[in-house]
Amino acid sequence: MSGEDKELKSAFDIAMEKARKLGGLSAEDKRRLREEELSDIGQALGKRYLSGLSIRDVELELGKYKEDRQILIRCILAFLVDKISLTEPGDIERVLEAIRHFSESPKVIEDIRGLISEYRRAGEQSRQEIRSKLGTARRKALARKGISGSAVEPAIEASPEWLEVKQGLDTSYQKRLKRITLPLQTL
Amino acid sequence: MNLVNNFYAYLWPGVTMQEMMKYGNNCNSYLVANALPGNKHVLVDPGQVVNETRQKCLDRLISEIKKDGLKIEDVGLIINTHAHPDHYGASEEIRKMSGAQVAIGKEENEFLKLASGEMSQALKSMGFEMPEIHPDLYLSEGELRLGKDLVAQIILIPGHSDGHIGIYWPKEKIFMGGDLVFDGSTGRVDIPGGSAEALKASIELIAKLDIEYLLTGHQYGSPGIIKGKDEIKHNFEIIRRGIFPYL
Repeated sequence: MSGEDKELKSAFDIAMEKARKLGGLSAEDKRRLREEELSDIGQALGKRYLSGLSIRDVELELGKYKEDRQILIRCILAFLVDKISLTEPGDIERVLEAIRHFSESPKVIEDIRGLISEYRRAGEQSRQEIRSKLGTARRKALARKGISGSAVEPAIEASPEWLEVKQGLDTSYQKRLKRITLPLQTL
Repeated sequence: MNLVNNFYAYLWPGVTMQEMMKYGNNCNSYLVANALPGNKHVLVDPGQVVNETRQKCLDRLISEIKKDGLKIEDVGLIINTHAHPDHYGASEEIRKMSGAQVAIGKEENEFLKLASGEMSQALKSMGFEMPEIHPDLYLSEGELRLGKDLVAQIILIPGHSDGHIGIYWPKEKIFMGGDLVFDGSTGRVDIPGGSAEALKASIELIAKLDIEYLLTGHQYGSPGIIKGKDEIKHNFEIIRRGIFPYL
């Protein structure tokens, strides 16, 4: 038997086992299993959406799950919200487009945008503060190594002082982001 | 290879097509020996550790430097003209060996932040893996003083990349231009952060300088160093006439 056959058999066995187990499962267990399955489908759809699948195509996919449509939307949005990065908001417009389409909740979108701007402002302000605090000492340290002049600006991004401040900022803003997006989990 | 005074050049093979095929892509590196206290050197554009043809670029650089009686462990400052991996790739490895400070153009650091985030996939698809780099200092337009008596001008020359810098040594009339111009051609402008108009403006800016040694970032089928005012002037003219219309 080839390795592939083994894998196929094994997958078949698993499916059979699952089916046997389902027969003996309570309604609660069955519901939980279904929710897990829908969560996987939602995540996969969310992933495909971020890779370029259009909202229209997501809707077409959702059409296959009429009864579970709302659960799936919650799963997709949960996945997308999880992908929001305050530090590198690359996919943010795609995420907001999906939230706008599925939740019709302009307040959440407005709040996310506001939070990102606030995070950037706070980050820049802290960076400036650390820069002025450490700048002179760093400049002197560079001068001792023979590096000076008007072109030179010490970098502070790798300093423990900046990393600590940044971590604090990230934690507190991520918590606020979670609170803002909570209504999307009860759609 | 000693160029003039304490200036050394380490050119990546690639003058002939055969060399280009065999050695693949890596940049030319330049070194200013004993520029810093404690006889530490300044290295401009260290190149890659290993390139796409599995050439051990850093090992080769170390060995070439050694032939000139210098040591990589004595590098005190690495200046990267821009944030493309074929130029800055070995920075952190050399830092580990020497404890050198790592510098890059201030605006180029913004590109690095983008490149590690939203742009990383686009760059990867173009064959650019972005190695780690943690600059100790940024360089913007102005004077760079090294040790007691060495002075360089840092000039912002965007076009090939947004925050590309050039290093002009007025006393020695040397210009290290990274990927601004080559012998008979220019740096490409189709990489994220590139701009044809900015490149043309940067070239015109540098063409006004009094340069005896134009040190380029690559050989790409032509010599990496253009020597002599007239040759350099002629090269700028060729680029204006032959390359500008197609940029």
